[in-house]
Amino acid sequence: MFLDLDKKDRNKIAVIDDSGSSVTYGQICDFTDEFARQLPYRTLIFILSENRIGSLLGYTAALSNRVVPLIISASTEEGLYAHLLEVYKPEYLWMPNQIAERKGLEPIFSAWDYSLVKTGYPMVSMFENLSLLLPTSGSTGSPKLVRHSYRNIEANADNVRRLFELDGTEKAMAILPMHYTMGLSVIASHLFAGSTLLLSGRSLLDKGFWSMLKEATSFTGVPYSYEILTKMRFTRMDLPNLKVITQGGGRLTEEMFKMLAHYAHDKGKKFIATYGQSECTARMAYLPAELALEKTCSIGFAEPGGQLSIVDENGHETFEGEAQGEMVYRGENVTLGYANSQEDLLKGDENQGVMHTGDLARRDTDGCYFIVGRLKRFLKIYGLRIGLDEVERMIKTEFNTDCYCKGDDEKLIVLVTDAKLKDILPTFIEEKTHLFHQRIEVQVVKEILRNEAGKVINQ
Amino acid sequence: MTNIEKLNKVFCEVFSADETALNENFNKCNVEGWDSVRQLSLTTAVEDEFDIMLDAEDILEFTSYDNAKKVLAKYEIEL
Repeated sequence: MFLDLDKKDRNKIAVIDDSGSSVTYGQICDFTDEFARQLPYRTLIFILSENRIGSLLGYTAALSNRVVPLIISASTEEGLYAHLLEVYKPEYLWMPNQIAERKGLEPIFSAWDYSLVKTGYPMVSMFENLSLLLPTSGSTGSPKLVRHSYRNIEANADNVRRLFELDGTEKAMAILPMHYTMGLSVIASHLFAGSTLLLSGRSLLDKGFWSMLKEATSFTGVPYSYEILTKMRFTRMDLPNLKVITQGGGRLTEEMFKMLAHYAHDKGKKFIATYGQSECTARMAYLPAELALEKTCSIGFAEPGGQLSIVDENGHETFEGEAQGEMVYRGENVTLGYANSQEDLLKGDENQGVMHTGDLARRDTDGCYFIVGRLKRFLKIYGLRIGLDEVERMIKTEFNTDCYCKGDDEKLIVLVTDAKLKDILPTFIEEKTHLFHQRIEVQVVKEILRNEAGKVINQ
Repeated sequence: MTNIEKLNKVFCEVFSADETALNENFNKCNVEGWDSVRQLSLTTAVEDEFDIMLDAEDILEFTSYDNAKKVLAKYEIEL
């Protein structure tokens, strides 16, 4: 069974969610059987996810029964949702009862406030090792998906279990969304270890989150989570159960990194910074807790089952010693490739275990890696990946205007020539990408200047 | 600008809302997109606007327009 779920203690609580409900490992197995009676063959299903038990059970049942889910947020923008349906034509949907009702859909089965709905599309044939589809971590209106194999998920779960030394005594705070690769990694790795998940869809500024956190032994967040935690002065709180704080999904500022490293050191906790991409089933590298004080902002070394290298500007690849260039990762968690259409679901393994990350890294004499820049054109704000080309395309299509996007991990800057768009664009981009409009700056310019190669030269 | 004008300005900017929408129903449940990003931007803007430092528990209370007024009263800001 998926993640050896049937080999855990049947009576052990696997998940507790915001409603206070819980399920044991035994109940997860029973639900999987029940689900197989409703849907007894391999096909494509969309899971409209929320961080609660019903959603998680759909995931574990689908993976155990070799049904392939695309997991997307239950609050995916309507236009993108319709587009995904049209492109991938799933035979089934697993969605919150409320949404099924709102859309006037008749469920064939309901449990845990979730409904199984048949769409009317026929069964979908897929590559035999394809296990799971996720959006490319961002939400820039693109139907591009990452294709995972069964081995990818188990390899990641096992790597994470080993690097955090997880066992059945953990109670992990799982607050990152299930449709986000890191959120799913927290879920899979702790289920694999037989731990208990505290699964929450709450805001970090909700009282319920803070009472749940008091029970937790570990917390996994993105840089923005730590901005909130700091604002709430969590370092002064009494959190005796909390043993490990870990971070992924973008770079922490130097100040924040040092603060967390000192906090962990002073309070006898572990701070573990990690690095990953959805193209590699979340986790790829981590900085061991004992190096946190010494190696500020480093992502450390490859995780237990992986290998990192650097390809310099001459195309020369090295695995040790000082170097700078594109970081390359090898491991069993490197995904199969992308999908842009339903036909792509038949594709096999295009990456063959090697991923050119698109991130520029530096390796020091101790073998520690530091991310110093990015080759690909995207920003990461609040853990959201904002593809600059995709945003430009959206604006050009909608408003028939020239535009150019740039920025950093704090702010998206959009250059346009049409002054009328100045006030409209932040709202438009927010609707499409969920990026908070105050992190979007629109600059009106006379002309978007390009050189002969078509490269934009406005600065 | 009066204090209530300042508060309204902060809400309108953070939520891209019209001032007329600010009433007893303007809360976390009714307003779409009221997430942690929004709430923290709101409290940070309020801190800047009124030159105060909110306690952690007061940041958690910022879940509606009415609650925001109640919290500000605790900091002796008359609206």
